[in-house]
Amino acid sequence: MEDALAQPRSETARTGAKPRHGRTWLNQLAKAQRETIALTVAAGTLAGVFTIAQMGLFAWVIHQAVVEQVPLMALSAEFAGVALAMALRALAQGMQAQFAARASRKIRERVRQQLTEVWQGLSPARLKSSSAATLSTEWLDQVEALHGYFARFLPQLAICGAVPLLILGVVISLDWLAGLFLLLSAPLIPLFMALIGLGAEKVNQQHFKVLGRLSGQFLDKVRGLTTLQLFGATHQAAGKLQERSEQFRRVTMKTLKVAFLSSAVLEFFASVAIAVVAMYIGFGLLGYINIGPADQLTLFSGLFVLLLAPEFFQPLRQLAQHYHDRAAALGAAELLLARLATDVARADQAPEATHSERDTSIIQLSDVSVSYPGATGVLNRVSCKLRRGQCVALRGRSGGGKSTLLHLLAGFVAPNGGAVSVFGEPPGLRRFGWLGQSPFLMQGSWADNLKLVAPAATDDAILSALTLVGLRPLLESRPEGLYSAVTEQGAGLSGGQARRLSLARVFLADFDLVLLDEPTAGLDEVSQQGIIDALTTLKSQGKTLVFATHHERLLELADRTLWVEHGALRDA
Amino acid sequence: MRELKPWLSLILQRRRRLLLGALLMFLTLVSGLGLLALSGWFITATAVTGLLLAAGLSAALNIYVPGGGIRLFAITRTVTRYLERVYNHDTVLRLLSDTRGRLFLGLAHQAPCAGVRLRGADWLTRLTSDLDALDTLYLRLVAPTGLAVVASALVVLLAWLWLSPALALATGLALACALLLATTLLYRRTRHLSAKRSEQFSQLRGQVIEHLEGQAELRAAGLAPELARQLCDSAKHFCHLQARVDVATGWHQAISGWLVNLAALAALWFGLELFGGGQITGPVAVILPLSILGLLEAYTLLPDAFGRLGATEASARRLNKDCGLAKPAMAVGAQDLVTAPGAAPLNASSIDLNNITIRHAAGPALLQSFDLAVRKGEWLGILGASGCGKSSLADALAGVSRPAAGEIRRAADVTVAYLTQQTVLFDDTVRSNLVPDGQAMADERLWHVLELVGLEQRIARIPGQLDGWLGAYGTQLSGGESRRLALARVLLRDSDLVILDEPFTGVDAQSQARICQQLRPWLQGRAVVALGHGAMALPPTDRTVRLG
Repeated sequence: MEDALAQPRSETARTGAKPRHGRTWLNQLAKAQRETIALTVAAGTLAGVFTIAQMGLFAWVIHQAVVEQVPLMALSAEFAGVALAMALRALAQGMQAQFAARASRKIRERVRQQLTEVWQGLSPARLKSSSAATLSTEWLDQVEALHGYFARFLPQLAICGAVPLLILGVVISLDWLAGLFLLLSAPLIPLFMALIGLGAEKVNQQHFKVLGRLSGQFLDKVRGLTTLQLFGATHQAAGKLQERSEQFRRVTMKTLKVAFLSSAVLEFFASVAIAVVAMYIGFGLLGYINIGPADQLTLFSGLFVLLLAPEFFQPLRQLAQHYHDRAAALGAAELLLARLATDVARADQAPEATHSERDTSIIQLSDVSVSYPGATGVLNRVSCKLRRGQCVALRGRSGGGKSTLLHLLAGFVAPNGGAVSVFGEPPGLRRFGWLGQSPFLMQGSWADNLKLVAPAATDDAILSALTLVGLRPLLESRPEGLYSAVTEQGAGLSGGQARRLSLARVFLADFDLVLLDEPTAGLDEVSQQGIIDALTTLKSQGKTLVFATHHERLLELADRTLWVEHGALRDA
Repeated sequence: MRELKPWLSLILQRRRRLLLGALLMFLTLVSGLGLLALSGWFITATAVTGLLLAAGLSAALNIYVPGGGIRLFAITRTVTRYLERVYNHDTVLRLLSDTRGRLFLGLAHQAPCAGVRLRGADWLTRLTSDLDALDTLYLRLVAPTGLAVVASALVVLLAWLWLSPALALATGLALACALLLATTLLYRRTRHLSAKRSEQFSQLRGQVIEHLEGQAELRAAGLAPELARQLCDSAKHFCHLQARVDVATGWHQAISGWLVNLAALAALWFGLELFGGGQITGPVAVILPLSILGLLEAYTLLPDAFGRLGATEASARRLNKDCGLAKPAMAVGAQDLVTAPGAAPLNASSIDLNNITIRHAAGPALLQSFDLAVRKGEWLGILGASGCGKSSLADALAGVSRPAAGEIRRAADVTVAYLTQQTVLFDDTVRSNLVPDGQAMADERLWHVLELVGLEQRIARIPGQLDGWLGAYGTQLSGGESRRLALARVLLRDSDLVILDEPFTGVDAQSQARICQQLRPWLQGRAVVALGHGAMALPPTDRTVRLG
């Protein structure tokens, strides 16, 4: 089961490319799991075949006992046959569930992988333009919303094409007139489907609209709860919540009353078909009907036809139940497609860049321009050289291009023109240290968090790195030392502590280049001092440091200060 | 199942509706079952009579009564199904608002009020999805289970009275097994998987958010692809769990369906035995087996709901915990905010802070050994850079949160109005936003305060004016306008102490100056504590205290 998961990367990249339409995209996804979905449909169809067999044998047994007066004991074999047909039907149904689950699982896994590939291709700044909550909702909830479509709706749609036809064939071979009754409703089936589709879609839309509005109202009040409490207005608000939802309910019910009519039509035809078939067969058996094949009817053929009549409509009724899966998947597909179609502005330019300067002792920007939506600031034909081991401060108004410059050195954004080389290589090729406002902390122990960058690091090395950033006292207050969880209940790290932990990684990994974006902004005094001390140590170790800052003491630390303003660079 | 108890009892408050809805479901099922069984009886009876007639024997069969019955069932099945769907959806919508109302009150009665504000956006997302999981409790779980149990019991009972105990026992046994398999056994088998799945889902959400927020650092260290792969692996594991639940559900559904079919077969065997013994006629022997085949419909909805029950429980557990539904006795009313925890009556002061310490969750102390007394009618400014604990101090002054240490004394009859740093407006009318507790207040007074904050012209332009709508479905105010409206709300509140935290965020200097001029006369005789990052951000005060 596992090896099939390894999808060739080129293919995933291709599917992520352009398809505009949600449905086309869903079909493409289904194509990748064609075999498993086909097996699902085959199992469902087989279950239909065994249902026909079961009903036939059932009618046969009754005919033998009641009409032919065969003693019960002589019918044991036939009884066993019915039980077997029933068991095989159950087996096929079970297999159907099994295949359905597998197909849907693999498709979802694949979409998730495509999404993470898109994330990798975007610069962190552009990724930030959608909130992490939105992106995680897409990756988790929207992808989950695809489940019902592939596991239930799509196979059921195919089964709807096969099973009713099979049943119709059997009924016609038994009594073509009874078959004709069912056939008469057959041209109506596409109509039913459209009706059900329309109705179900409306029900679904309404439901989500109401749910959305109710949730909106609810969240609106929950968000403002403190204010409501301060004004002694919680009961008032609860009453309002009640009143609003009452209004929504009344409006919704008006729509639903109409929308449910379409499924009532299907229900009506199914019921009438059974009634008509039963009456026809009854009168035929009595000899009241002298036309057509009615005089050929027996109890066996009559009962068989009767038992098959509801099964003829069953697949359709099931499809109607799964219709909301389709709507949910289409909604999700639209959102996911929009994300997958984000043109990934990779740092593809690297090969073209003329890094004629192979000088491994400098960072060089030659005539570099950056301007495109998503970049925080613009740079206009900027050139400069930074020496290895230099400590450089970037100053300037926010939005003036400091962050863009750092992102450029990091290789997170590609220049529109000019070339960047970091120690003779394209930026981002070699690992380096980065410290931004929101450091990465994963659930796990201190050791886990630090070993991320240096899996082979010893406990001693980790401890000394933590000492250098001044986190040793904090660590010692934790019961299990390095192996206590970083984010324990109620004892998480403050912003400053988290940033220092991240800086400890830089020591541990021994990065040559460290880029820092406002490393001390918004921190308490202790943390600020911890970071300044750590940077001083890094500088003394001969690392190259580039940081954007306004902090007086950090500026003192710098060998060189560059002003970044209006897209231009100048030495202070 | 304990977790679901408060929710089930909430649902049961609408007992009569639920019963009526269930009755409609029952009638639908009986019509379908009756249609098939009566048709089967009719066909068998006509076949037997037809043979007698063909053999030249005299035989008679009343065809009008069964014919009418068949047509009646065909109609009632359609009609009751339609009515049932409409009626039960109505019920679900009512329950939807019940659960939200209840949850809201649960949240409102919780002691640390600032909690909600601190828990953040993803908490709200989770709250919503947990609520959605509970919305289907009645229609998916309670009603179908009741329907299957009652219908099955009725069929078995009829078989016992009408046919034979042996037949009733055999079918009853098979049906009971089918029921167990579709409900309890499936629940037991998937409970842990579902709960684990639900837990992994929220864990994954946390991990994805961490991953995305730390993207720059991860990419710099060359770790992003590896960690993304790990995330995909965790998701795979999660999908695996879900697939296991789905597969188990599928198999339980298939096998329980098989057992119902076997019950029909057993009914046929025993029925034909009775027929062989001459105790019943052939057509009668057919009725019960066909009824049981029709009963299958009632069983098909069950496995899906019970396979999910573990996850539903997990949702209920989280909601119970978050919203204090587990122990309603703990409820602390909103009045707790304004009554004094202090014992001694205060004479000259509105409020007294003794030696208090303020800190965020587990961070370093922002304020330590801090003393402050606000005299009656005094205007006090508190200044400090952002992040120095101003807002926490304001929260403590207002009684929204308690300091980590120390004592706050406030006379019992001192009432507080508090403009929080965060501007909160509701998707509601202007009037409700100004007077959230719905107290009757003359329009002139409302217009007067709107004029004071310089919003009277803006509000006059909104369709409906004071009764016009703000927010997502109405007029959107700008940041500065929203701030001024929130200020107006505080000014309208009849109180002895007014706390204003950064009152003029986003308000232009001109408006601020105009408001400051009129503030004194309006707040005549009341104590005011205004907090801000600098003196420029505050109205003129009698005295200022600088923090940090």
